[in-house]
Amino acid sequence: MPLRPNSQSGGAGLLKLHEYLLRRLLLTIFVLLAISVITFSITRGLLPPATALTGYLRLGETDQTKLSIAQAVGVATKSCPSFSAFLNSQKGCVVPLWDQYFYWLVDVSKGDWGYSNLPPTAATAPTLTIFAERFPYTLQLAMASAALTILVGFFLGIISATRANRVPDHLSRLSAIVGYSIPAFWFGFILQIAVVLYLAVRGFPLLPVSGALGTGCALCVANPGQIGTYTTIPLFDSLLSGNLAYFWDTLLAMILPAITLSIVPIAILSRILRSSMIEALSQDYILLARSKGLRDWVVIYRHALRNAILPAITACGLIFASFLGGVVVVEYVFTYPGIGAAALAASRNLDINFLELDVLVSALIIVVANLIVDVLYVYLDPRIRY
Amino acid sequence: MAQTEANPEKTGRRGAELRRRLRIVRQNPPLLAGAIIVSGTVLVALFSGVIVNPNSYKILNFPSALCWSNPIYTWGIPNLKACPGKTFYPLGADNYGRNLLDVIILAVPLDLEVSLVVVASAIVIGITAGGTAAYVGGWVDEAILRVTDVFLAIPSLVLGLVLLTTLGQTFPKSGFAIITFALVIIWWPYYVRLIRSQVIAEKQKPYVQALRSVGAGNVRILFRHIIRNSIYPIFVQGSLDIGGVILVFSAFTFLGFSPSPQIPELGSLVNAGIDNVFIAPWLVLFPGLTIVTISLGFNLLGDGLRDALDPRFRR
Repeated sequence: MPLRPNSQSGGAGLLKLHEYLLRRLLLTIFVLLAISVITFSITRGLLPPATALTGYLRLGETDQTKLSIAQAVGVATKSCPSFSAFLNSQKGCVVPLWDQYFYWLVDVSKGDWGYSNLPPTAATAPTLTIFAERFPYTLQLAMASAALTILVGFFLGIISATRANRVPDHLSRLSAIVGYSIPAFWFGFILQIAVVLYLAVRGFPLLPVSGALGTGCALCVANPGQIGTYTTIPLFDSLLSGNLAYFWDTLLAMILPAITLSIVPIAILSRILRSSMIEALSQDYILLARSKGLRDWVVIYRHALRNAILPAITACGLIFASFLGGVVVVEYVFTYPGIGAAALAASRNLDINFLELDVLVSALIIVVANLIVDVLYVYLDPRIRY
Repeated sequence: MAQTEANPEKTGRRGAELRRRLRIVRQNPPLLAGAIIVSGTVLVALFSGVIVNPNSYKILNFPSALCWSNPIYTWGIPNLKACPGKTFYPLGADNYGRNLLDVIILAVPLDLEVSLVVVASAIVIGITAGGTAAYVGGWVDEAILRVTDVFLAIPSLVLGLVLLTTLGQTFPKSGFAIITFALVIIWWPYYVRLIRSQVIAEKQKPYVQALRSVGAGNVRILFRHIIRNSIYPIFVQGSLDIGGVILVFSAFTFLGFSPSPQIPELGSLVNAGIDNVFIAPWLVLFPGLTIVTISLGFNLLGDGLRDALDPRFRR
């Protein structure tokens, strides 16, 4: 355990860990606040007040409605007499940027993210509701990609390290470099072309190429029926409802997007694992384990891998970032109804509220993931002290 | 002539040095492959207007739209449209009946140019901010680091998406400047981090002490000596990142953030092909394959350079 007193620092190991955690937590809070400033500056700070509104106004609305929308969005003051006065930025009509930020931050911290203009409801549903409806889809896609990343990434990394500087290693390293060089949007379409043109059975593609519930594919069940809501994640809900047809179709629809999404993370993971495995395999305890006559796989998986896994955990933040950014492209290519496709739609509809929520939630996930990794590290590696 | 004869030992050493370098390149296939692809790409980009008529992308020829005339491969598509007339379309024709190969060649310079500008700007910002942070230290270092933390916490595609949305609304007529700016915003923190750690390692070395003792100024020590001594890792990262920037840049133009989609650009070309992806798959395949090739070239070059420059790997 890491809490052993450190002889060199006079037994202050425990106290130092607490201090470190506290410092780390305070820093996280600071970073989150700074992220809110950045988010606000690149959305409402950059947009002129009248432009920030355009996504939420509809044709044929009276000026009175427009003014109330402007007040609801937080750009017009409550005392502003008319919408035209706001447009002409009459004195005391436009809320100053700092006040806007302050009010926005208060609303946001209360969970009020305004209304989203995304279909199907168009500016009548709260942004948080729209986001919460789509997030489970992205979550299940990210989970499938994470499983694929771990499987393939570990395989490639271990192959590389145990056969270093031989053909399997060269192939694995080359595939990592190629993985870094493939645009996800293009690869998604290449998979679609392959499945539709060359893997079709009696005119039906083997796997679905769009949507979250496969239809019109050779392996799909046509009408899987309904499922209940337990976890909001369709993949789990279908299992909990006992609807295996629904589960099967959901799973099939995730295969191609998940492959596309995990290309870069696989490259990241296999590279890190390769170098940390090579490092671990050159240690004395491996020599000892081998000289004891342990079988090869025991040495590799029990002794070397356990020690090589730590640097790979550090890459979690990077991999999460890759998923959260990648879904914007992948969900668009596969018309998958998650937050990535929604963010793109929000950008086209100038739905500032949704974009702000998307940026902040993405950043929150990454910051918290990094925090957990850092804390986990202290527990996993007894050599580390702060 | 007389000079070289007067100093034969020096030329001999120089020749040995050159041979040694060539050997490093030969023993390092990724470096060689990367160098070939990158120099090929740069040549195509520089002379694209000579290889292909620079205005040919404006000439539309609708009768041959979406046609294929290369007999080597026929895609297995049942009713493939054969090209009318005598023109040979090695990579097929696009939805305006233009020769796809010509359009791709015309598209390469823009992608390369944007990537170079983005990486160069990020390096300049990185040298200024990262160098200052490491050299001055204390609260300046802490402040600069925390700012990079904030930017690194936002996924690059999400950050770019929001920046392009709002900047595009605020400055609708600024062309590719917005997308370049957004990419610089995405990439600068990585360089600040990289250069900061380089400078921290470098400023402990005795030569910095020596420079200080002879009275060299801080700015001079930092920019003329420390940065110059830590430039190779920056080049390596720069090469790798050119490959990365091309991917993100083309992703954004693919998503429709190109200020003028009719200008040939690889991401926009893929986007233009997706409506007919199952009728004319070459419209998606080849522009994307060009992106992969360019990006792979820079990644191999960067990777090979790292191995060649790292003394631990030197044989």
